[in-house]
Amino acid sequence: MRSGLAALLGMGVLAAVPPALGFHPYYLFLLSTAFLLAAVASAWNLLAYAGPISFGHAAFFGLGAYGAALASLGGLSPWGAIALGGLAGAAGAAGVGLLSIRLRGAYLALGTLACAELLRGLALIWSEVTGGGAGLAGIPALPVLPWLPRVLTEGRAGAYYLALALLGAALGLFALIRRSRVGLAFAALREEEERASLLGLRPLPWTLLAFALSGLVTALCGGLYAHVVRVVEPDLVFSRHYSILPLVMATFGGLHTLLGPAAAAIALYLLSELVLHPLLPALHQVGYALALIAVILYLPGGLAGLRRGGRRAHP
Amino acid sequence: MPILEGRGVSVAFGGLSALRGVDVAIEEREVVGLLGPNGSGKSTLFNVLGGLLRPTSGEVWFRGQRITGGPPWVAGRLGIGRTFQIPRPFAGLSVLDSVLVGVTFRTRHRYRRAADRRAEAERLLGLVGLADKAGARAAALSLGEMKRLELAVALSSRPALLLLDELASGLSPKGREEVVLFYARLRERGMTIFAVEHSFGLLAQVADRMLVLDQGQIVVDGPPPAVLASPRVAAAYLGEEER
Repeated sequence: MRSGLAALLGMGVLAAVPPALGFHPYYLFLLSTAFLLAAVASAWNLLAYAGPISFGHAAFFGLGAYGAALASLGGLSPWGAIALGGLAGAAGAAGVGLLSIRLRGAYLALGTLACAELLRGLALIWSEVTGGGAGLAGIPALPVLPWLPRVLTEGRAGAYYLALALLGAALGLFALIRRSRVGLAFAALREEEERASLLGLRPLPWTLLAFALSGLVTALCGGLYAHVVRVVEPDLVFSRHYSILPLVMATFGGLHTLLGPAAAAIALYLLSELVLHPLLPALHQVGYALALIAVILYLPGGLAGLRRGGRRAHP
Repeated sequence: MPILEGRGVSVAFGGLSALRGVDVAIEEREVVGLLGPNGSGKSTLFNVLGGLLRPTSGEVWFRGQRITGGPPWVAGRLGIGRTFQIPRPFAGLSVLDSVLVGVTFRTRHRYRRAADRRAEAERLLGLVGLADKAGARAAALSLGEMKRLELAVALSSRPALLLLDELASGLSPKGREEVVLFYARLRERGMTIFAVEHSFGLLAQVADRMLVLDQGQIVVDGPPPAVLASPRVAAAYLGEEER
């Protein structure tokens, strides 16, 4: 635990360096996006820790993005708008979680995919509110916080540090839950739902909590993304990328582990954008598919499975 | 008043009748054994009594509350504990965590402090002889160890009634002797037990009363010597011609 915390702190310090070294804004943008994807992968992993596999996290990302954009354009401060978007995502995710009353396993996963597609379609046709296919533009930029050094909140560097902070929060939440009674309930229901029920655990509230927490983190990422790129479109923020990539990244990194999904997200995204994209512009995302196939065939525990030792006990 | 009562319980799977109007009543602190040939409906009866299966007709009552057809968490919260014939461990959890689930979320005799919950889980593991396996993954245990873990997990929610489904099946003679000792220890603690076992001899050592289930019906109900002497039991196990 201590070595893990030290490694996390070390990585955090290392990650704080690029803006101070004067990295090109393009690279800062790439790293910010990698951190956001890592936070979404960690949020996806949090839901998987409780059992459900989601094919529809784009629903929560898009809800957060649109919720934050609409609130911000309506006059709320961007910070409040992002928080409101997060709550919209959490509520929407809990609503999607209600599918678990009747669906399990692959059927539930397909249900989440259907919800994401439904919301994308809704965003496309409800043009009075969402702007339709053209989306919403002119979303205010994130304001500079007077009580923080300008370098931390201004421009690309600001977005970079905010994405990094959000990733830290996502990892912190996952670590906290995994060591708590909530994590024990999640793990028990994931491993043997009927057995856990016979011990008095009612599955539905715990499943809804897992959906809501995962949706909250994913939607906060969506809200931040909306204020960084300052435009939201249905095909952008409800894109299937936000459903499929977290699944691939978390599986590649190691399901149910703390750092595996986030580390895999950053590595795979940067590999795709910096190496594969210049070489194979039309096929650069094939890297994700190959990574998933490699894990399924040769490494069921993901990268984290290579070094996994004993499991910790819950308090 | 019985602690657990099944009234006219029938279960049909399509055209096949697994249980046909079964009446069963278990009194507080009683140890009752359930015998029957393969396919006689023993596990189906346990699934109905434990809230895992809704009967086609009939009712199940526990401590004056109707619990027919579940959901299983209601039966668990009211105080029914259960083991399975084929162990169903929390495969990815450690042995200690598996027991902590019931200790942490039980509705009676709760512990506020994490250290107390852990001590209680370790005590239960000690009771079933798994103290030295606390850190192992549940999926890595042998069959005998898994059966013992099943018992510790069932006890972890502090149940008032235990439904034990073939705790001794598949075990070595030494393992079966240990199971008899577990029954004796549980009886000393005043636990109410309804147990399925294949071995008449084992059940006769531990049960106050025995029921024999044949083709979905209770055909004999009485103390072990009377059950042993019953021609219906010989018929159920050996068939009419061998009587």
